[in-house]
This record gives sequence, C-alpha cells and structure tokens, in this order.
Amino acid sequence: MNPLNKIIFLSAFLASGFLLILLSCALFNNYKPLWVIFIFLIAPLPNLIANSIENARDYNFLTFNDYNNQSNSQFNQSPLQEFCKFLTGLLIISGISLPLTFYHCGLIQFGSMLMSIIGGLIVYGDIIIFIWFFSNEEEENDEFNF
Amino acid sequence: MESQSNNLFRFNASMLRLPKSAKLRAFGVYLSGALFAIGFWSLIDSAIYSKSINASDVHVTFIDWIPFLCSSFGMLIVNSIEKSNLISNSNNTDPFSSGNLNHAWAARIILFLGFSLLAGGLAGSFMVFILKYLMKHYTFPTLGMGVSNIVCNGCIMFSCIVLWLSQNIEDEYSYSLAL
Repeated sequence: MNPLNKIIFLSAFLASGFLLILLSCALFNNYKPLWVIFIFLIAPLPNLIANSIENARDYNFLTFNDYNNQSNSQFNQSPLQEFCKFLTGLLIISGISLPLTFYHCGLIQFGSMLMSIIGGLIVYGDIIIFIWFFSNEEEENDEFNF
Repeated sequence: MESQSNNLFRFNASMLRLPKSAKLRAFGVYLSGALFAIGFWSLIDSAIYSKSINASDVHVTFIDWIPFLCSSFGMLIVNSIEKSNLISNSNNTDPFSSGNLNHAWAARIILFLGFSLLAGGLAGSFMVFILKYLMKHYTFPTLGMGVSNIVCNGCIMFSCIVLWLSQNIEDEYSYSLAL
C-alpha cells in the first residue's frame, strides 16, 4: 500500500469522524458535544511531545540513564513519558465520559451522545494509525541517523 | 533476596509474580490514567446533575470537592516519590547509601503523608455521604450525588494502586543495566 492511498483513506475516515460529531451537534441543534473534538485532538499530543523531548535529550552522555535508546525504546521510559501516558489515558476516558455526563444530566439526547462518542473514537484512532504508519516507514530510512 | 530488601511492604509486586514486561507497565500507566478520569468525571457528573435537573434542594458545594482534592493531592505525592530513596536500610553498610539515611526518612515521612491524604480522601467521601445525604434520609436520585463522590475517591485510590504497582514492574533489561 503506497503512502498516497494511506493518506486518502485516513483522511476519509477522519472526515467521517468529524462528520459524526458535527451531526451529533447539528441534528439536535445543541452544540455541547463539540468539545469532544477538542479533547480527542489533544489526546495524542502528550505522547508525541514527550517522545520528541526525550529523543532530543542526550541522557546517555554523563548520567547513564539509558532512557529511550534506539535499541530499547520500549523498555526504559522516563518519568516524563510515563506521566504523558497517564495524561493520554485520562484524556481518552474524558472524551468518552463527557457525552455520557451530558446525557446523564439531560443536556443532550441519546443519539447525540452515541454519535459524538463514536465520532471521537474514530478521530482519535485515525490520528494514532496515521502516526503508527509513518513512524514505521521512518525507521527503515533512519538506519544511519544517529 | 534483593526483592525483599528493596520494597517497602511485606507483600509487594514481586511476590505477586507480575510478569516483567514493558508493555504491561505501559498498560498499567494508561489504565491508571483512565481510572483517574472515571473518578474525576463521576464527580463532575454529580456537580452538573446538581445544577441542571436536580429536583431536590440539596446541591453539590465545595464540601463535596474536598475529598477529591485530598486524594488527588495524595496520589500526586505518592507517585512522584523516587522509589530508590526508600531502599536504604539502617543495616546497610554501603558508604554511598549510609549518608542517605536522612533522605530515606524524609521520603518515608512524605510517603506516609501521601498515603494518609489518600485514605483521608476516601474516608472524607464516606463522611460527606453519611453526614450530608444519608443522615437526612434522602431518596435515591439525590443520594446518587453522594454515591458518585464515593465512586470518585475509590477510583482515584484504585488508580493510585495501579500506578504504584506498574511502577514496581521492573524489566530485566534495566535491571541488568543497574548492575
């Protein structure tokens, strides 16, 4: 599968996710679920920021803390990265439970809740798959990049 | 032997034989974040409920938020302590760690403070539930605001436990580096 097809399919999914959330607002003329988009858009950010910070920092030079070496990037995680994972979990559940709360308090309808949750999960999953696709490709080309 | 002297409690993660893997550790961190969010949102839910479709004259006030503040502050303290500070024992004759004894005591006292804040949060949520809702014989839609307070603090405590356990999962690779 060449990158162009990937991008086209992913953007179609992303558009459908946005469409679902916007429909959940517009059909019921109640724009409270629009916050779900915001939450799910910032949900992948903590991991990205933490990973780029830890990659830019040269831990191995004097401290011998071997955080995020290329060979064992899965194994040693710095406290910042773990905190950002915590934040990611928190944001995903927040995005799901915001419409649930609204529904429980009678502020939005049931269909609106269902559409906004599904749309938000589609948006989030789409961003994650996008990052995953293109990080796999970079690793193949990055052999000599120290 | 190493695991017995390294941990604070008699029962610890190594006695439960948790599998040593980085993926489980990451999953534990995500799970604890999720649990924290569930607790937080149950409290937010009760607050919005009290403002929007609450039929009774009982409302969620700042009193209901105090247990949540206590337990989340306790969780912050407990999980931001560096675990290696707790290791140094009094019978340790290593010249590098004997100077750390004061340090270890400070870490233990702060950790105790954190755990008592956590427990105080949970106990406080029960107290709010009993004094504010149960003693005045409210029926269930109103009682739900107190129940969600207990759910919130229980979830935060559970999240703290999960985070603590997943921080205790050491993978073999980092262990061999430490040697």
